[in-house]
Amino acid sequence: MTIKSRVSIGGHRATDVSEAVKRKYQASSSLKKGSALDKLFSYVFHLILLACYFVYTIVRLVQYTNNKLRVRFLNLAYNPSKAPQLIREDVSKLGKIPKRLSVILTLKSEEEEGGGFYGLLNDAAEATTWTVAAGIPVLSIYEYDGVLKNSLEDLRISIFKKLSDYFGSSAVPTFSIRVPRTNKTYYGVNSDEDLEYKSGEIDIQLTLLSYDDGKPTIVELTKTMAELANKKEISPKDISIKLIDSELVQLIGYEPDLIVLFTPTLDLQGYPPWHIRLSEFYWEPDNEDVTYAIFLRALQKYSTCKINVGK
Amino acid sequence: MTESWLSTFPGYLATLEAVKRLFANIIQTGPVPQHIGFVMDGNRRFAKRENIELKEGHNAGFESMAKILEICYECGVKSATVFAFSIENFKRNKMEVMWLMELAKARFTQIVQNGELCEKYGIQIRIIGDKSMLPKDVLEVLNEAERITKENTRAILNVAFPYTSRYEMTNALKNIVSENVDTLDLEAITEKYVEEHLYTGDQPPLDLLIRTSGVGRLSDFMLWQVSKKGEVEMELSEKLWPDLTPWDICWILIKYSFKRSYHNNTVSSLKKVD
Repeated sequence: MTIKSRVSIGGHRATDVSEAVKRKYQASSSLKKGSALDKLFSYVFHLILLACYFVYTIVRLVQYTNNKLRVRFLNLAYNPSKAPQLIREDVSKLGKIPKRLSVILTLKSEEEEGGGFYGLLNDAAEATTWTVAAGIPVLSIYEYDGVLKNSLEDLRISIFKKLSDYFGSSAVPTFSIRVPRTNKTYYGVNSDEDLEYKSGEIDIQLTLLSYDDGKPTIVELTKTMAELANKKEISPKDISIKLIDSELVQLIGYEPDLIVLFTPTLDLQGYPPWHIRLSEFYWEPDNEDVTYAIFLRALQKYSTCKINVGK
Repeated sequence: MTESWLSTFPGYLATLEAVKRLFANIIQTGPVPQHIGFVMDGNRRFAKRENIELKEGHNAGFESMAKILEICYECGVKSATVFAFSIENFKRNKMEVMWLMELAKARFTQIVQNGELCEKYGIQIRIIGDKSMLPKDVLEVLNEAERITKENTRAILNVAFPYTSRYEMTNALKNIVSENVDTLDLEAITEKYVEEHLYTGDQPPLDLLIRTSGVGRLSDFMLWQVSKKGEVEMELSEKLWPDLTPWDICWILIKYSFKRSYHNNTVSSLKKVD
């Protein structure tokens, strides 16, 4: 028998069975409305599910306590105490460090400790400082709503303050902040006009990302391309991965090597999807705080992982 | 392995079947993920550990996939997407690529002939990705599998072969741009519109992503679908793919069910804001 004829037999059977399945399905759905016995069954089933939830809750409680304790222990064990030398020492032990780092921060409620707008500013400033001390030249900070982008002056001041806290006011590292899509870059706390500052080597290049830099930007790009195609300036055939990549790199930036999520679960929150192709994710379950210990653990984990495209 | 001696008991399969159905009945009284993505990582490491040939490792991976999909569909999952082969995988050594192609061909031939999975659950198979990269004979078998299961409506199995998410997004944008060559309608182009042009656009949105062997990356799989605020659960297992058992999946489904029943008040309120 050839494959094809066998195949068609299989096909026949498939439809027969799917018919049977359909009938069974319809039967069961009509039963749902029906007899009291079935209602009872579905109650019993749901009760078992609730029992499963109960078991899960207990497991989860143990996990939660465990995680919280571990994070607390880590925070005690790794405390940078505002000394960049300590950070450098920690990082120098690592085999490799990322060239481009990204962190995901969240705006927490005012009531929480370290929450609210000023908490977020502080988190961003600290993450920037640790990155400089670790010797990583590029950092992007993702915050869903773009709160940081809208309060640039506050952010510049708090980064400057934090850097001088760590490095001393005589040797504050230089930094630039880029806001994608506006194509604007800001230098230092107020060195936008300072040519010497701008032309010198910038210690840390910061990019501020928000939801709008992800899917909405891809949508904008599509619109632009559609317009061009409509004017016959490009053909749909010209659209390739390479083209889109180069456009998005120009608009948003390069893909980070490592993304540290300071969130209790692995939730990418609409992070630019084009830019997470091979990025390594790190998060500490049940942790919400932005602490140096988590930052360092992420770098440690990254140093051990092997990325091989396709292999 | 406990399974091997257990399976010698009479009525083992029937019991297993019954247990599966019972579990499905139970889990269906709560929220069930409508679309699950699988990154099946660890076949090669499994082969190395077990001291078996690479080929056998991939085979074990397939067996594991069939078992896991069966339980998922039984539980009412509407759509599953499996990352079978990445476009980047063509960079692997020629022998392995050839084996993988042969494996795919053999397995799909088997599926279209016996149709175990597809018959029982009425599953429609779709091949997603850059099919033009496949050898001709493999492509024929895959097309045949798609054609034969076309009428099935109960659930969908997307086989990403060979696939990358960037290719998928590029393809979606290309299609949208082509639509606009003659008549321009910029208003219509929205996030939702792009999502609808992805391969999985007509299916329920991704609820759960499972990746094995402790890797914390997406490796170019369903990037657009995953990056959403509070809508996708990601399950990164330390186990190698062939080691993942239906029990693990049951536990993951319970976990999902629990999270969606108790944490999701926040998510639904977020959705309303959007």
